[in-house]
Amino acid sequence: MSRTRGKTAIVGIGEIPTGRYPERPAISFALDAARMAIEDAGIGKDEIDFVMPTGALFSGQFNTELVTCRVVEELGLKNVVGNCQVFSGGSSSTNGLRMASALIETGRAEAVLFVHTDKLGTGVSSQGGIDLFSTAGISAEWETPYGQHYSTVAALTTTRYKYETGATDEHLSAVCVSNRKWAELNPNAFFRKPLTLEEVMASKMLSTPLRAKHSNMLLDGGAAFIVTSAERARDLTDTPAYVLGEGGAVTHFAFHQEPDLTRFGWAKAAQQAFGEAGLTPADIDVAEIYDSYPIYQLIAFEELGLCGRGEAGEIFLRGDTWPGGRLPTTTDGGMLSKGHIGAGGSVSLLVEAARQLMGKAGERQAPNARFAVETAVGGTYMDAQVTILGTEIPS
Amino acid sequence: MSTVSPPAKPEPVVAPWARPFWDAAAKGQLALQQCEDCSKFIFYPRVACPHCASERIAWRTASGRGTVYSYTVVENNAPSAFIADMPFVVAVIRLEEGVQMLSNIVGCDPDKLRCDMEVVVTFERLNDNFVLPKFRPASNS
Ligand SMILES: [Zn+2]
Repeated sequence: MSRTRGKTAIVGIGEIPTGRYPERPAISFALDAARMAIEDAGIGKDEIDFVMPTGALFSGQFNTELVTCRVVEELGLKNVVGNCQVFSGGSSSTNGLRMASALIETGRAEAVLFVHTDKLGTGVSSQGGIDLFSTAGISAEWETPYGQHYSTVAALTTTRYKYETGATDEHLSAVCVSNRKWAELNPNAFFRKPLTLEEVMASKMLSTPLRAKHSNMLLDGGAAFIVTSAERARDLTDTPAYVLGEGGAVTHFAFHQEPDLTRFGWAKAAQQAFGEAGLTPADIDVAEIYDSYPIYQLIAFEELGLCGRGEAGEIFLRGDTWPGGRLPTTTDGGMLSKGHIGAGGSVSLLVEAARQLMGKAGERQAPNARFAVETAVGGTYMDAQVTILGTEIPS
Repeated sequence: MSTVSPPAKPEPVVAPWARPFWDAAAKGQLALQQCEDCSKFIFYPRVACPHCASERIAWRTASGRGTVYSYTVVENNAPSAFIADMPFVVAVIRLEEGVQMLSNIVGCDPDKLRCDMEVVVTFERLNDNFVLPKFRPASNS
């Protein structure tokens, strides 16, 4: 059995509803989410001995406050040995969980608080957001001068994927519809009105074939989770979300360097994660798939082995991924419907995976959820990351 | 009525070891590094070969021929400096030498764009300081 399988667990989660909060300081999202997670875990605040605030993109000055221990001071945490930012853009959730688990497994920490906050909805203008994401994670020498930004990045993958697999606009749009059906049930989601395939396909063209409703919207938000050892987790709760397996594959920095724009590193990452967990894709009850644009949800779903190449679109279209479907997928609504909050996009998905396993997902609770897979990826899809959590530890 | 002029186009932020690429582009040439130990072509320019780590790297003039790996036509929501250019085409080009680069496709009806179509390099002046290599359909040559 793998050396790391089931050695740590997520025991507490917190999250504020994604939204537009011009009057609220960004630190408040972190503090609210962290306090919720501490209460949810049922531990004393002074049991937290390591804090990992991930990066906030909207303000360099604010981010420096996170780096220089503001969360620790504001919460009055007395026994923290280290406050250290773990930040890899959209894959920060997985890297945070990986670092937290490593600290705990080696005895360097007992209880790690990972916390995210960002204010990309009201902290920057709409055009400012587009401009920010034409430079953040985009090569300033080789891509920005050609007008590259995140819509073109997603569109470039979509064009090639359609060419290679025959996927249609309906298949892409079906991802948006599936995620919205979950968001309708999620009080923390921003877009909760029912959405039809026709509405998605009639929305404004941004970068062909990518339309406005294929695109995430930048919003304000924050989330947090607490990681501890499996032994301590069993003292605290009857429903720990054990960390069973992790895998990753860094494939590029500059998007154009990616050797396979329609696959990325997901298959390798998934193989590692499932191997470590001692599970196969058929064992998965809930899939929380990173969805900054629909194409990435289709590709990751396929590359994880949840279906074959080119088959995901039909699966989303016929409702297998919807509430009540065979494989509940991206059950918080994802970035497409819950809203894109920077690095928090994947933090939300990891928190949702734990929430489903803890049986705390309310109206959108997936039945008999024992094993969940979460995916995360940063930059221009540079580092496919796969995490598997479970309510039990496969022997 | 007042009008706000768009921000200037972003210039490439040049790494010192990539300078020969931009100097060649200014003369209408597409320059690539080639490793003298493993013979592989290298783009973008590196301090050492990313394949075998050799520091014996030479500059070559590329054929300028390649194919479109993928493309997109930007119709809305471009970065500020590119709003006036819409619609414009962003593409990943696979060069004959086996490397990929990001560029724009120019001189092509957007409806005629296809994955794997053949393209050739062309050069467009960005400003007094830079010329950008771009691509156009090979069939127009
Ligand atoms: Zn070499």
